[in-house]
Amino acid sequence: MGVLARVFEEHGLATTSISLVREHTEKVKPPRALFVPFPFGHPLGEANAPDVQTRVMRAALALLDESDVPVLVDYPEDIYSGQDIDLVQASGVTRPDHSIDVAFEVTSLRPYYEQWVASHAGRTAVGVTRVDQRRFRGLVRVLEAYAADRDIDVPEWNTDVPLPQFVRWAADDLKAFYLEARMQQKPGDSFQELNTWLWSQTALSNLLRSVRDRMRSQGDPKLDYLAIGIAR
Amino acid sequence: MPRLDRLSELQRKASLAYPCLLNDSAPFTHMARPLSAARLALVTTAGIHVRGDAPFTGRDQSFRVIPAETPPADIVQSHASIGFDRTAFQRDINVVFPMDRVHELVERRELGSLSPKYYSFMGAQYPPYDGLQQDTGPQVARQLRADGVEVVFLTGT
Repeated sequence: MGVLARVFEEHGLATTSISLVREHTEKVKPPRALFVPFPFGHPLGEANAPDVQTRVMRAALALLDESDVPVLVDYPEDIYSGQDIDLVQASGVTRPDHSIDVAFEVTSLRPYYEQWVASHAGRTAVGVTRVDQRRFRGLVRVLEAYAADRDIDVPEWNTDVPLPQFVRWAADDLKAFYLEARMQQKPGDSFQELNTWLWSQTALSNLLRSVRDRMRSQGDPKLDYLAIGIAR
Repeated sequence: MPRLDRLSELQRKASLAYPCLLNDSAPFTHMARPLSAARLALVTTAGIHVRGDAPFTGRDQSFRVIPAETPPADIVQSHASIGFDRTAFQRDINVVFPMDRVHELVERRELGSLSPKYYSFMGAQYPPYDGLQQDTGPQVARQLRADGVEVVFLTGT
């Protein structure tokens, strides 16, 4: 992002940005940046907290008054003080030992997912595969076949997309579906509680671990790159 | 993000090892008008785009146009990683891409106006950054200027 800020400024636009890693911003030197001590994925602080978001924005916009660049300022308000903000990972929790069928799990979560979408004016992060969520059992079959190194013959796979990329998007869509269903069930859960649930309580998490392992077993750096985004 | 001392050792080491560009100085553009009269655009590297547009792939240096009046329900994110929490974005687009917040700042006359178009790039870029520096970054800058934009607010995720 710092690279883009520099390009824009070189082309006659004044820029200000949110820095997520101070050490990176110190190296790249965008003209003006506000470093925020928030978790990755929360650059303006907190979801559904407009006052916090506005305060962060105003602090970043105030840097436009600075003419001695680069300027990198620390945002003073640590709204996550005392909390663990290092995102929970698959390797950081005990994996579930049950053997619920993932397709069954998807079906059981569907009513909650649909309630989530209905109560958020149709908004959902699901959709990168372009497969309708009512056909997500097909996405599960794609992941299961990929993990087991079996031929994949399901209509949900758009063969214009290379299989590993489609597998990655299927994993991302299923995660988004699960997390939105869970947020509908447990609206007060923190992001850490939600991610802990995903990795320690769901059958999907074991399937995602298997998909990751199969990708990484190929010895191909491009597949390693896709795999690291699925589970760690 | 987090201060690095609040991350796991693995995450901290990965962050510190990231191959950032090293610069000694920064470019500077003087704002001709105060913010209360200026036109602002949002640009993000959160890998979001209008539903139905081509998804981003890893280290993709292309960009997507997001018309400023796009309803949040029509915006999806093809950037997903175990490196950041997506539930915040799922709960509220403004935590990453403050579409509603900038409207409020215009209503309060803290900002002059908003660009008709916003822009999105993929996150977790990796060198070489030639596409961003020489092609897509300048293209977006020219489009922003053609729309009368003077100020850009950038967010990652």
